[in-house]
Amino acid sequence: MSAIFPKWTNRLPLMIVVGVLLGGAGVTAGVWYYFTPKYTRVGYQPIQPVPFSHATHVDQMGIDCRYCHSAVEKSWYSNIPAASLCMNCHNQVLKDDPRLALVRESAQSGKPIPWVQVHKTPEFVYFNHAVHVNRGVSCYECHGEINKMEEVHHAKPLSMAFCLDCHRDPAAKLRPPDKITDLDWRPESPEKQRAMGEKFVHDWKVQSLESCSACHR
Amino acid sequence: MSKTIPPTCTEPQTGPKYWRGLDELAETPEFKSWVEREFPAGASELSDPVTRRNFVKIMSASFLLAGVGLGASGCRRPEEKILPFSRLPEGYVHGVAQFFATAFPTRHGAIPLLAKSNDGRPTKVEGNSGHPDSNGGTDRFAQASILNLYDPDRAIRYTKGGTVATKAAALDQLTALSQQAEANQGAGLCFLVERSSSPSRARLQKLIQTKFPQARWFVYEPVDFDIHRNAASIAAGQPVTPYFKLDKAKRILSLDCDFIGAEEDNHRFIRDFAKGRKIEGHASKKDEELINRLYVVESLMSLTGANADHRLRVPSSQVLQVAAALAAEIVKQGNAEFANLAAQVGKPAGVDAKWISECAKDLIAHAGKAVVVAGYRQPLAVHLLADAINYALGSIGHTVVFQPDTSVGAGTLAELATALNAGQVESLVILGGNPAYNAPVELDWAKLQSKAKSVVRLGYYEDETFAATTRATDWHLPLAHYLESWGDVRSSDGTLVSIQPLIAPLFDGLTELEVLARLAGLVATSPYEIVRETFRGLSAGWGFEESWNRFLHDGFYAVKKTDVVVAALNWAGINKELGAVKPVPAPGKDSLEVIFHRDYRVDDGRYNNNGWLQELPDPITKIVWENVFLLSQKTWEAFGFTQKDNESGNAYVPWVKLTLNGRSVEGPAWLAPGQADNTVGVALGYGRTKSGRVGNGAGFNAYALRTADAPYIAAGGKLSATGAKPYPVATTQSHWAMEGRPVVREANVAQYAERPDFAKGMNMPEPPGGDQPLYPNPLDVPDRNGVKPRDKSPHAWGMSIDLNSCVGCSSCMVACQAENNVPIVGKDQVGRSREMHWLRIDRYFTGSVENPQVVTQPMLCQHCESAPCESVCPVNATVHDEEGLNVMAYNRCVGTRYCSNNCPYKVRRFNYLDYNKRPLDKLKGPFFSTPLLNTVDGEWELARWWRDPARGIRPNDEWELLKLAKNPDVTVRMRGIMEKCTFCIQRIEGAKIAQKVKAGASADVEVPDGTFTTACAQACPAEAIVFGNVKDPHSRVSKLKAQERDYSVLEFLLTKPRTTYLARVRNPNPQMPDYTKAPASFEEWEKKGNHLVHHGHHDAAPHHAAEKGAH
Repeated sequence: MSAIFPKWTNRLPLMIVVGVLLGGAGVTAGVWYYFTPKYTRVGYQPIQPVPFSHATHVDQMGIDCRYCHSAVEKSWYSNIPAASLCMNCHNQVLKDDPRLALVRESAQSGKPIPWVQVHKTPEFVYFNHAVHVNRGVSCYECHGEINKMEEVHHAKPLSMAFCLDCHRDPAAKLRPPDKITDLDWRPESPEKQRAMGEKFVHDWKVQSLESCSACHR
Repeated sequence: MSKTIPPTCTEPQTGPKYWRGLDELAETPEFKSWVEREFPAGASELSDPVTRRNFVKIMSASFLLAGVGLGASGCRRPEEKILPFSRLPEGYVHGVAQFFATAFPTRHGAIPLLAKSNDGRPTKVEGNSGHPDSNGGTDRFAQASILNLYDPDRAIRYTKGGTVATKAAALDQLTALSQQAEANQGAGLCFLVERSSSPSRARLQKLIQTKFPQARWFVYEPVDFDIHRNAASIAAGQPVTPYFKLDKAKRILSLDCDFIGAEEDNHRFIRDFAKGRKIEGHASKKDEELINRLYVVESLMSLTGANADHRLRVPSSQVLQVAAALAAEIVKQGNAEFANLAAQVGKPAGVDAKWISECAKDLIAHAGKAVVVAGYRQPLAVHLLADAINYALGSIGHTVVFQPDTSVGAGTLAELATALNAGQVESLVILGGNPAYNAPVELDWAKLQSKAKSVVRLGYYEDETFAATTRATDWHLPLAHYLESWGDVRSSDGTLVSIQPLIAPLFDGLTELEVLARLAGLVATSPYEIVRETFRGLSAGWGFEESWNRFLHDGFYAVKKTDVVVAALNWAGINKELGAVKPVPAPGKDSLEVIFHRDYRVDDGRYNNNGWLQELPDPITKIVWENVFLLSQKTWEAFGFTQKDNESGNAYVPWVKLTLNGRSVEGPAWLAPGQADNTVGVALGYGRTKSGRVGNGAGFNAYALRTADAPYIAAGGKLSATGAKPYPVATTQSHWAMEGRPVVREANVAQYAERPDFAKGMNMPEPPGGDQPLYPNPLDVPDRNGVKPRDKSPHAWGMSIDLNSCVGCSSCMVACQAENNVPIVGKDQVGRSREMHWLRIDRYFTGSVENPQVVTQPMLCQHCESAPCESVCPVNATVHDEEGLNVMAYNRCVGTRYCSNNCPYKVRRFNYLDYNKRPLDKLKGPFFSTPLLNTVDGEWELARWWRDPARGIRPNDEWELLKLAKNPDVTVRMRGIMEKCTFCIQRIEGAKIAQKVKAGASADVEVPDGTFTTACAQACPAEAIVFGNVKDPHSRVSKLKAQERDYSVLEFLLTKPRTTYLARVRNPNPQMPDYTKAPASFEEWEKKGNHLVHHGHHDAAPHHAAEKGAH
């Protein structure tokens, strides 16, 4: 009597188990890697309607962040400047440049420029810019080296774990209040940063807020 | 961890102590099974007509679509645009809310407000505490008025003959009318307006009267408070308006005057009344003078009656007899007339003469510090008697002052009807109001109106009057909301108050002022110019711009007040009016007295389409979404009515017919404890046919019975059963009962004097095992650095609620709903105990059903330190933060509802359905909807959902408008999420952030006391709710919590609530016939074998268990 099942089928259960394990591991690894903010957010670089270069404006010309993002010290939201603000300089500088056509048109007509949002926390997260930048957290900590970017991209994951890293240990990141918008500033050494950070935590009564209520309402 | 034994709940011995529904008092098996269930039947079951089969169908279709979605659009991140201003408005910071001073106009005054604007859309209103006559409190209507702004059913178009017309054509019509009036001096031009205290409107009215001398003015209010002015003017012999100062009164007598609930300006009355009830610190005066005393004579159980120290229930028509008897005792001047009057009207039937004489004695003993108020329902005679008594008591000038009357005269609706019938009306201009719905029934307004050749109506809704304004010659113009308008008003103290817009009219509506200005043929027709012009005339001459800007900034312009000094009353005028008074026979079973009253929620019907108010439980009956026939127990039994409650909170009551003068309406009957026998209370404002998607069909229309000669109290009502099936009334009355433990604690002044710590003495014996809490206190568990959470923050939030000040007005409930994006769920869902209010007012009756005492208690999340809800959450969605808040992380919640089951206070609310996405017209009946069959806006529901999943099955117009009302600082919760009071965490965090921003590189991070408060505390006119930092010993809340009256609800569970209550103290008169040594609740509590213990001596506490054996 010939065998109905060929001989290799004897190994089938083992193959299935191994296959499932491998597949499972693959899926887990895939989700782990691809479905976390580290992958989905970091590097996101949409094309903006106006080719505005932070590198030129901040790094070369030394314009402070707060010249354009004027509400960052007062509001939960760091505003995108109005077109009229661009025109403060650009009615003199590059005043006929085709790249600025949209800005001129907007300032004239009142129609807003449709910038594409790059950094966005989920809607159940109530992140406040003002309280961070007034209390020793630099723009750099969440936005990276914006001053070096030709076109803005998402530099940090901005995941909950990312927030908590700092909230659990604020001393590692706090810097002198006059260095908040100095994106090139780096601590001399990790030891000095720690010493300084711990002094700030103590002097300013910085709490390491880890309760849900700090961000979710 | 050692095992903790749960505390045994001490059982009541006989009957419950506090009862909230009659079934509770009766301990029916239904009620018992109801309290034993975790959730009321129906609340936790999927019993909708959406069957399991349907559900599977819908789900499989959704999965299919989801699959297609993944394939087609992939997992790409949706691109979102940021649209900045092209030119930044000056001083504008995106994301920071702005506040503007404005005012909520009422019939005779206004409530000064600060309105909050988030990026250009008003989202919340609060009282303007800068105003000289405001403490920042508001009433229910002002809080809810923001929802009217975003009402998708408001009038949004100009119509001619019922079809759409352009605004330009409508304005041309106004110009044409004006030119015509100019030509014929206004002959045939009639105005029908609502009452208003606007100086600008008065100015325009005078202007029109001079320009067009033949034009005529009429005013109509279905619920009119003009009688106060009218009576005072007769009594004083000159035009005046009375202004009551209850805070100066030690004794208050209300003659059917519901100043806490239904009278105009009740928020101010509440503030002043509560001021007189407050006990601060360790009071030294522990006698009858400690707080004020309130006597109430009334028929229906009102909020004022609920707060009375002595309440006499008599039919409304018999209040006259009581007033006459009181006047005969008190008024010395012209005593003969008053004695005659008392004889003329006869003795009040069934009233203990001692009640009247002792009450009179008490008032006389407090001459100059006593006040008598008469209600709007009462006839002129009662008001005049009240004025005479006030005069005799020397109250005039002290507890009541007369102010010069600034109103402009106008005719009545009856006079307008005569003119219409005589064919004298060419053009009728109706500004606001809704006469086709609420005019006296015998006028048949809808028909009567068409006797005018053309009608121009300015209205907020396309309502019943709109339906009558559809002839080719009729115009209908949309009215602008007050938050879209320029205007001015006078608050009741005479201060000039500004109304300024926070948003341009959403639907291009007009204001009353603009219409009048166009009709007057003025050049400057913009309301801004008109108000400015009026202000120019009223303010001091120099520095106009400066005072104008100040007027707008502050929201008011303090005018120098000159009270009218009345040396002697106009006795001739009073006696003339009183001479004509005829006694009304007492009502009987076959000739019931029908009492029409202003509804606590929809007013006269004007807020009928406001979902927040429709779903606000009536403060006394706790009924939602409709009105009922209120009957006393005796009357109820005389008709043989019965009520059967199902397990879920619907009450099944008889559907009856009330006939009055040949007209009849049908509706549900309701047993109202404390009501006068042989009376029927009927709330106005329901049964609308053209109200909108929310209000249509809610309740029955009492206006169908109401005639001009008996607008408030009508004799000869007949009640009959209809034989229809028992009707379900949705009520929150017996929901969330606490099984008769000393939840509300109260004592009489004498008891309080003897035992200031009586509230703590009522503590229940702690469970065996001592004072170890059942749940560990997370604030004491050290973190990984060994720091206790309690020591981490300079703040510890807590709340103190003074039951002595709380009158149960429910403003806080509406404020909470507005602040926290709390959805409305509809009648059907409330009937299943699924209401979503984070804050509720528990109303307990104590004593007899016939003459009960009432206590109200705001109940919200107590923010227990050892919170039972936290330890049962399997996903850590509800946890503690270091400031003592019991927080909800909505994103973690998976909807097990364990927390709600384990909450002893029953304050957690679960989103059984996606309430924010349900269409408004699905709120009253059973909810049935399946996306497979539905079409929304003419599009197959599923296809529409696919394009825009966010708005659920809401039609687009509702969605676009209603989401504007949401507070952007609070998450809008979806189906399957548990929620509850957060102590307004968005305000806490906002204040902390603001303080930290201010602190910058310094350690000044502690939020100073009084910087902010919760929405409920802010709205409370009585200042009964105080919120703050309990870690700061100097904060107001800490001081209140240090009072001896402070107690926690269910303290024996050792949950350590951060919300504590100050026990209530009643002030009855020992000489009165209905005096009892202790409040009814306290007596009942003692009857159970409890007695006061000295707190702090656990061992000495007489244990319940020991007492139990004796019974």
